[in-house]
Amino acid sequence: MKKKTVMKKVLSIGLASAMVLSLAACGSEKKEDEKKQEGDSSGVTLEFQQWWGVELPDGALQKICDDFTKDTGIQIELLSNPYADTKTQIAAGAAAGTMADVVGLDGAWVYDFAKQGSISNLTELMKEDGYDDSQLSDQIKYEGNTYMIPVVNFAYPLYVNMDILEKAGVSEIPATWSEFLAALDKIKNNTDAAGFSIPLSTEAPNGIQNQFMTWLWASGGSMLKDGAPNLEGNKDLAKVVDFVKEMKDKGYIADGAEAMKEQDMVNEFENGRLAFMVDGISHLTLIKEESPDLNFDYAKMPVMDGYEGESGMDVANWGIGIAENCENKKEAMQFVEYLMSPEVNAELAQLANAFPGNANANPDYSQNDELFKKAFEIFQSGYATNEFTGLPTSEDLMRSFNEQLVLYLDGDTASVDEMLGAAQKAWEPAFE
Amino acid sequence: MIGKKKVSVQILIVIILILGVIWAGFPILWMFLNSFKPNAEIFAWPPTWISENFSFDAYKAIFSNPEQVRFFVNSYVIAGLVVIVTLIVGIMASYAFSRFNFPGKGLINTIIVSVQAVPPITLLIPYISLIVTLRLYNTYGALILTYLVFTLPYCILMTTGYFNTLPKELDEAVMIDGGSRWKALWKILVPTAIPGLVSVGMYTFMQAWNEYLFALALTKTNDMRTVPVGINLLMGQHAYEWNQMMAMSVLGSLPILVLFLFFQKYFIAGMTAGSVKN
Amino acid sequence: MNQTAGKGKKDILKRQATPYVYLLPTVVLMFILLVIPILMVIRYSFYDNVIINKNPVFVGLQNYKAVLSDPNFLVAIRNTLFFVIVSIIAHLIIGMVFALVLNTRYLGDKTKGIFRVIYALPWMFTASVIAILWRMMLNPNGVINYLITSMNLVNDNISFLASRDIALKAVTLINIWSGYPFYMISILAGLQGISTDLYEASALDGANAVQTYFRITVPQLKPILISLLMLDFVWTLQQFALIWMTTGGGPVNATETISTYIYKQGFTKYQYSMASTGAVILLIVCTIIGIFYVRQQRSGD
Repeated sequence: MKKKTVMKKVLSIGLASAMVLSLAACGSEKKEDEKKQEGDSSGVTLEFQQWWGVELPDGALQKICDDFTKDTGIQIELLSNPYADTKTQIAAGAAAGTMADVVGLDGAWVYDFAKQGSISNLTELMKEDGYDDSQLSDQIKYEGNTYMIPVVNFAYPLYVNMDILEKAGVSEIPATWSEFLAALDKIKNNTDAAGFSIPLSTEAPNGIQNQFMTWLWASGGSMLKDGAPNLEGNKDLAKVVDFVKEMKDKGYIADGAEAMKEQDMVNEFENGRLAFMVDGISHLTLIKEESPDLNFDYAKMPVMDGYEGESGMDVANWGIGIAENCENKKEAMQFVEYLMSPEVNAELAQLANAFPGNANANPDYSQNDELFKKAFEIFQSGYATNEFTGLPTSEDLMRSFNEQLVLYLDGDTASVDEMLGAAQKAWEPAFE
Repeated sequence: MIGKKKVSVQILIVIILILGVIWAGFPILWMFLNSFKPNAEIFAWPPTWISENFSFDAYKAIFSNPEQVRFFVNSYVIAGLVVIVTLIVGIMASYAFSRFNFPGKGLINTIIVSVQAVPPITLLIPYISLIVTLRLYNTYGALILTYLVFTLPYCILMTTGYFNTLPKELDEAVMIDGGSRWKALWKILVPTAIPGLVSVGMYTFMQAWNEYLFALALTKTNDMRTVPVGINLLMGQHAYEWNQMMAMSVLGSLPILVLFLFFQKYFIAGMTAGSVKN
Repeated sequence: MNQTAGKGKKDILKRQATPYVYLLPTVVLMFILLVIPILMVIRYSFYDNVIINKNPVFVGLQNYKAVLSDPNFLVAIRNTLFFVIVSIIAHLIIGMVFALVLNTRYLGDKTKGIFRVIYALPWMFTASVIAILWRMMLNPNGVINYLITSMNLVNDNISFLASRDIALKAVTLINIWSGYPFYMISILAGLQGISTDLYEASALDGANAVQTYFRITVPQLKPILISLLMLDFVWTLQQFALIWMTTGGGPVNATETISTYIYKQGFTKYQYSMASTGAVILLIVCTIIGIFYVRQQRSGD
């Protein structure tokens, strides 16, 4: 008798909680069922996971998607994730089968996701669709096939705080390394500001790509040779390392670099404590908004003394890919093509303060800031590059290079050759 | 002599109190002050205390965004349900541990302690797969079940200790009078243990309210997400809404603070619970 | 007679089954939601490159060899030990001091109430917020540097999180800040439970405050302290968000702990097997702790 009542109670509690849970579950499961029942494109719902929405004017991305729905009947459900966790979420979601149909990607992740088989081969999808890919300014490939298309690109020019320069007595924006060092020296002696900043936090090691390697690329150098790492014995790279070491030893670099993230560097710049930084133009609106009185300008990256070739300019991008487990790949491709179409692509680029991924797109930048137009000119005078895009475990490569660089800057590594040798050794297993 | 000693003890206590307030309260004060500043000013040097541009903009931004209000609602619902279910399930288990000796007791106990050791990040992938298999992905259910298993071990360990402090005669008396064990547990033991259970419930609430990793991984749409995810969504690739993050954290801590004040009496007496015996 | 014997048997059966009935919901939930995923993780640790590779190969203990001979993992163990031990000791001391002060008869109930709330504040925030807040404050141009330079405690601004010598200590400090209230409140509660008779007896024996503390207070609190230390050990050992969001394990590997090591293996190198191996090693350590805890509990009964 007693046991029975116990059992009864257990059961009723169990049932009650199960009901609560299943009620909660109902809400979202319905949607999935609806999706599956409908056959052809109209009525299909695609999930589009990205981190772009928050970076664009409120509701802009939603409007672009709504227009697509109006034309095709395909619903787009926008899902957003915090940027810092996007990669982990895609990796876990791909393994568990919960990845969204269309995903925003960073070029640095493509190799790993393609290898893992979590994103689709876009070359095949474009072929099936008869899409003319010559209009795309770039495609990120893995083993010869495209897996990501850059939707818009953000260039990384040199930001210059003109007031600090004036106060320090630097009359002209430096164009070469020696001019740059001379300017930094004046800044150190005549102002309280720091000259330059390299964010070297190991949490987000992209300072290696955006604020370090950018010096190499600007002077026509390369860290790769035939797609394999070429760090050891790379003379150009050795010069860049020593150039940075000189800045560090002479106290030109802002304090706390080893724990700094890009965002922290921007905060320093916004508060007038930093003379030069290399940063995405995507920050332009933000800086103008948050520090309206800041007098700053864009400039080309200073180049190695004597270098006269074209300069590579570091770019980051918002890329797009399609999940391998997407059930409506045809519709997903249709959406990607829509985002890449000249008009939509131009609009996105204009809104994001970026350059379009479609070569035929012609964004109307007349509404954008004067400075943006200047950056655009600088961008067009060189070529876009980012050697980390499409490399295996890119983020890890940056992190291990970061560690070797910090060791050398701290004086723990005897010579630059030794440092680059160690970095080479750390990189090689990823390329096997 | 004795008077002197007393005075010096009092001075020592006052010093510790003041240091303690600085240590515990300063970071929170700083967070609070920053929630009223414009973004750029948060990093100004020298730091500003009360901003010249003091404004409630960050708070207004949160309250005028239905999505962010929804995060708060979700957090309440989820944390509240987790507390209820954890307590019911945990109390039953604790009763078994406290009142019976049975084969496997030590083993189950060891498992309950050691499963807490696996870093949640490594469980992420198998766990998401499991939730998807159970068809719970992107539901309250997923989060409630998850937090349940993460808070149960703590709840059981503490509640068992508390039941151990209550004499067995208490529930045996009920059974001699013809009542069931079930009745003895819920009518006698639980009411006597209320202070301890309140403290366990509070802690469970905080755990569920503050969890981030699974809150993000097990949901995909913002209408299912909780406050910690909302705070992290304010950290973009390019722009951080520092003041809104601070404001949301301040707002997020309020319900816990209110609960704490409300239950303070129980809370303090109750934590005794866990282990003090006889 | 037969009937009574049958009934007796039934009673014994019932008596034996009852605890399992009460445990059923817990066991079912924990088994499905925690033990199964953990078993999967344990299985991963014996395979070669799971998840990335669709057909992983059984490699025995090779992953364990690889992880345990990885110099970075050894550094991570050293840092983790520092982080855990210092955190636990500091939690205990700070929690104990605050609890004792809040338990003195020199303060009124209202005052105690206010200070209790203030001291419990750090407990109310999620780890990512604590990380953001302390990064802001410990910045070379942050408020803490402002305060210590304007008080002339130091001449130059200190880069707390960027210096390889200080970073681990700074991260530990943050963890201490965020974790001591758990001890404070539990100890405070424990103190209320100690019978005043014991103190009176001690006073009659002519013991002073320090003697009373070690003869009465500490032994009486012992069971609660052991539970606290055990739970805190297990939780601190796998602390991830706080470390990752403040330093990311750096500079170089100055704040690399087992949990950041596991994360990097799993989500930037995509070596899930290695990550799982690291997790299983933690699991083994904590199981040993758990066994000792259960033994200790049993001997206490």
